[in-house]
Amino acid sequence: MSMTQTALKPSQADAKGGITIGVADIAITNDPNATLVTYALGSCIGVTIYDPIAKIGGMLHFMLPLSKVNPDKAAKRPAMFADTGIPLLFRSAYELGAQKERMIVCAAGGAEILNDDGHFRVGSRNRTMLRKLFWKNNILLSADETGGNISRTLVMPLSDGTVSIRNRGKEKTLWAA
Amino acid sequence: MGSVETLIDKCVKLSPAPVVIARVASMLSSGEYNSKELEDLIMTDEAISASVLRTANSAAYGVPGRVFDLREGIVRLGSKTLRRIVLEHKSSELFDGAGEAYGLRRQDLWRGSVGGALAAELIAESRKVCEPGVAYVAGLLRDIGKLAVDVALGADAFRDIDPDETPERGFTEQERLRLGVDHAELGAALAKRWNLPDRICAAIHHHHRPPEPGETGADPLIDVVHAADFITLWSGLCIGDDGLQYQLAPHVRESLKIDRASAEHEIVETMTRFRDLEEAISGHSEQGAA
Repeated sequence: MSMTQTALKPSQADAKGGITIGVADIAITNDPNATLVTYALGSCIGVTIYDPIAKIGGMLHFMLPLSKVNPDKAAKRPAMFADTGIPLLFRSAYELGAQKERMIVCAAGGAEILNDDGHFRVGSRNRTMLRKLFWKNNILLSADETGGNISRTLVMPLSDGTVSIRNRGKEKTLWAA
Repeated sequence: MGSVETLIDKCVKLSPAPVVIARVASMLSSGEYNSKELEDLIMTDEAISASVLRTANSAAYGVPGRVFDLREGIVRLGSKTLRRIVLEHKSSELFDGAGEAYGLRRQDLWRGSVGGALAAELIAESRKVCEPGVAYVAGLLRDIGKLAVDVALGADAFRDIDPDETPERGFTEQERLRLGVDHAELGAALAKRWNLPDRICAAIHHHHRPPEPGETGADPLIDVVHAADFITLWSGLCIGDDGLQYQLAPHVRESLKIDRASAEHEIVETMTRFRDLEEAISGHSEQGAA
């Protein structure tokens, strides 16, 4: 993966222990009391990474697969794209002490509008790019839930790295130790 | 229609007419712009004045070593930027706390509204099919019907729907099943009651089902607002319990020449403009990767 972006500084949780990742946003933390959350993923994809030994976790909420759409915007906001956001997420975790072989990686989102008929496929192209980047870099997805046309909220507390998805008020576990 | 009127009555009681938005929308629709009126409005509103000052002295508009006061700021920013600042602030008041029926968080509906406004303006600018200022207002107000759905159905109204159940013609079917009308029709009724210009009422009414060319009511403004709705969805600015359960009309895709490349360009540009705006309003940069 490209290593052009400077690694992120670890984020601190707010008073309630939350770190909210907005659209085209990214965060990394080693705060054991923090809970990372990104709300309402549609065609965007949320990626979580977690090293259970180092207790380092991160989350990315990217919008589109490829930064070539606008390299200038990608330089300013790398979390907008899979090919700039994902390398930044992993690199930042490694700099903080996480190790690749221990990493639990999950993903959610990548939904489509109705009757897209292959014209745009924003969600599925996001899914394809995610898998392509992981395959190229020997990273295995521990769990994922993508596709369909629903909204998904992705949550990961750093205390145990459990990854959950919320939709229409219902929560389900995507990955747990 | 009796029940719709009752619902609109209820909604009007809870959300007083957005007089300023209606006035600015009229100025834009008629092309009769009154700069003195806009200045007076800015000078009497503390939050808008503060935003004008911040913007006039920002890196984009300011001059190093010089601080502009409010009057100088008004002159410096020009009518287009001032109109936007006014609309963005007033719509924030209008949509504050709205969208509960769709499981939206506070300010999400406002984010989606402004995102739609920015996308509509962008599409109108590039396709030159309608006046970008009018497209901005129509995009901004396209989902006001969701205020009425909130009033009618209360919080989390659609939470009982099976996530695997996909309505064939889109989420508006679910609204019609529960209310007999959808948020677009409700929004148009509300807009009419608020005396918004007819063309904007029509754009709100048809933004999920734009009439085809040659059909009664067909208007490029509606097509632009319809397309902007999808750019906003793909930008992830306002995804509620309705998810992405909407259909992009093929005739709009063709007439506005929306393909994958143009859509991705507009998604990025809309999000960038939205972030700039959010930072200008809050007066500080948010935490993030930049």
